[in-house]
Amino acid sequence: MNLLLELLQILFFPGILFALLLAFIYEWLDRKIYAKLQNRVGPLYTGPNGILQPFADFIKLLAKEDIVPDETDKPLFNALPIVALTLSLTGFLVLPIIDLRGIISFNGDLIFLIALMTLICIVIIYAGISSSNRFSTVGAERAALQLLGYEIPMMLSAASIGILANSMWVYNIVSVQVNTVWFLVGPGILGFAIFILCGQAELERIPFDIPEAETEIVAGWLTEFSGRKLALFRLTRDVELLYLSGLAVALFLGGPSGPIISGLEPVLYPIYFLLKTFFVLFLLTTLRALFARLRIDQMVNFSWKYLVPIAILQVLLVRVIV
Amino acid sequence: MMQEENLQKEEKKSSYELFFDIPVGPQHPALKEPAFFKFKVEGEKVTGVDVDVSYNHRGIEKALEQRNYIQNIYLIERICGICNVAHTLCYAQAVEQLYGKEIPTRANYIRLLIEELARIHSHMLWLGVAAHEIGFDTLFMYVWRDREVVMDLIEMLTGNRVTTAINTIGGVRRDISDEAKDKVKKGMNILEERLKYYRKVALNDPTVNARCSGVGILKPRDAIKLCAVGPTLRASGIKNDVRKDDSYALHDEVPFNVITYDTMDVLARVLVRVDETLESVNMVKYCLDHMPSGDVRIKLPLSPPVGEAVSRVEAPRGELIHYVRSNGTKNPERYKVRTPTFGNIPSVCEMLTSKGDYEVNIADIPIVLASIDPCFSCTARMEFRDVSKDKTWIWSLEELKAYCKRQGSL
Amino acid sequence: MSMLKEIQKSLFKKKATVLYPFKEREKVHIPEGLRGKIAFDREKCTGCLLCARFCPSGACEIVTDEKGKRPIFHLELCLFCSQCQEVCPKNAIKLTEEFELAAFDKKAFTIR
Repeated sequence: MNLLLELLQILFFPGILFALLLAFIYEWLDRKIYAKLQNRVGPLYTGPNGILQPFADFIKLLAKEDIVPDETDKPLFNALPIVALTLSLTGFLVLPIIDLRGIISFNGDLIFLIALMTLICIVIIYAGISSSNRFSTVGAERAALQLLGYEIPMMLSAASIGILANSMWVYNIVSVQVNTVWFLVGPGILGFAIFILCGQAELERIPFDIPEAETEIVAGWLTEFSGRKLALFRLTRDVELLYLSGLAVALFLGGPSGPIISGLEPVLYPIYFLLKTFFVLFLLTTLRALFARLRIDQMVNFSWKYLVPIAILQVLLVRVIV
Repeated sequence: MMQEENLQKEEKKSSYELFFDIPVGPQHPALKEPAFFKFKVEGEKVTGVDVDVSYNHRGIEKALEQRNYIQNIYLIERICGICNVAHTLCYAQAVEQLYGKEIPTRANYIRLLIEELARIHSHMLWLGVAAHEIGFDTLFMYVWRDREVVMDLIEMLTGNRVTTAINTIGGVRRDISDEAKDKVKKGMNILEERLKYYRKVALNDPTVNARCSGVGILKPRDAIKLCAVGPTLRASGIKNDVRKDDSYALHDEVPFNVITYDTMDVLARVLVRVDETLESVNMVKYCLDHMPSGDVRIKLPLSPPVGEAVSRVEAPRGELIHYVRSNGTKNPERYKVRTPTFGNIPSVCEMLTSKGDYEVNIADIPIVLASIDPCFSCTARMEFRDVSKDKTWIWSLEELKAYCKRQGSL
Repeated sequence: MSMLKEIQKSLFKKKATVLYPFKEREKVHIPEGLRGKIAFDREKCTGCLLCARFCPSGACEIVTDEKGKRPIFHLELCLFCSQCQEVCPKNAIKLTEEFELAAFDKKAFTIR
């Protein structure tokens, strides 16, 4: 019985179908906020206020012709979009949404979550290399270099949270925050700033959308993908956005916790989760609207000159407090 | 030489290429019009560039010989959409030189007004496009929102937002009413405030500085040797502007400053253009306050006398030269256009090669290309065609000189 | 960071977009003197053919009807330069301010 309930939870709510639905809504929200910051309207006509626009884009891409060039590494080229989507959906299942623990929850799942993000980046590098195209190669090379830049600060900041809560289990981290104070308003504020910046680099959004710079290398590692593969990669991008916001909420904002009325928990926890992730999304979109795109050597410079020392400072601070 | 040989041997031995070429164009998100640039890259460093710009050749100079002088105004206007005022101004001045007649002062003031409004329009469009090339979409959206102000003013004055068709042989076609003058003044006040804000953003934003300063260096000696024109030349510290050196349309009566910067990089070109836009705003305000009354047009016969004339104009992109030769009929005998972008192409090839300490990355390519404000519709190459043998080819300068010597015209 | 204040203010300002043509069509300001669709008055035309001589694109074609020679205008070739309006001695040609010229039928593009 328990197994059946878990299976239903994984498939529908708050699992795969919920993740896909929420990913579309997040992309719509991202586009609308980005547009409002630029004094214009975003999508407007598909569905009420344009809310069906990301879904319409997905359906349109599914219907387009899927061209596979001769020179590519075909098994890798065909399998990579599915692998990427699977990885990000798997990570989503570990996040706490309807309860203080995720559907899948085990000791050490913080490391699992961070490792999943690195794996997705490795998939991107393979995607760029397997499509034998000059632009894709340059994009893959840039993605690898960018990974060197943001990976260390992000891991240090997550590790500092682990030290603060004295555990590597996301359930324990969230419980500690519920009992004491959210780490964002407490000692984790530096870590939150680093996490958001590195998250922007991981999601490949401006100012760090270097592997996929539109005006320089056409579409970077995404150039040769078309049709269904492109649809799956774009969906992966949206699910990753959701996944990163969920992780930031779990680590720094106390997960889906908030003032509860007993008995209504399965309804209130998702609502708090949504509100908090909207806040993180707002921060990410504002960052996207504020800056120009950096060059890859400038990005790695910035990361190692500023982000890594601040992350180390955060770890030391946390060690002193605990 | 030895290094090259060794390198070639190495290339043949290994099973993958060490260096490859990145093609930018003919279709590319960084280019607004078709042109072909082939870059030799090593990793992220660009080591060489090869150019081909003849994709937009439309045979305009031949078409000009088959229409009369009035029809040609509208054909010349369409050589380039953005520079259309500069092209028609240059054409009208060249033909009026053939007649040897002077146009009324009020007509010259109106020509100056529309020319400077078009310059503001062109530079704001360029600022948005350059911001988009470095990925700064927010600045792009804001600048293009403010560009609507100047487009609405041009629409009110001339009847169309972009192709103005206000210059004609003998003067201008429309007059300005007093309420139009008030609206233009209000628009200029709004624009001045916004432009000062964009200048502050360009100077202070850290990511814009990171992408634009120290990039695309063109030394003054190279700029003069390679015949750069316009803001590209002025950003390398050389004070050269047709409006001051060879004044036309009463530019010597309307005061302005020639803007130069001496940091020689892309940021200097951005600042030169923004400051020029501010100067144009001041010129427009001066024009409105000091406009004399009188006719706006004189009537001229359809066929000019036999002769030839050259006229130069400072288009938003640089120095524009037109040459006309008339044989007394109502069609021109020969017309030649030399556009500023054509003069800037050798400079951009120089800016895009890494040598010594100066390194160019792939990420610098779009912004350096955009910094000369390329208008490839204006650029055209000549190609030779032998119809009987059905061959086409392009000659280099030495081959062309040898051919002319053989024909006896050099 | 220098555009931060500006974009925060934009969250509360009205949008700069005009939702033309479905919702806010009347907000588009059409100035007087806009060079739009050609209007031709047959009564005033004397058949001097100056308009066809100076039309740059050949949009002005001369036909003969019961009163003599007269022009017809092909809007798909027209540049809207208004040279015909300028050169007509009887003011029979006028460029109106109508600019929404899309049509389903090619006959809508010939002005008689």
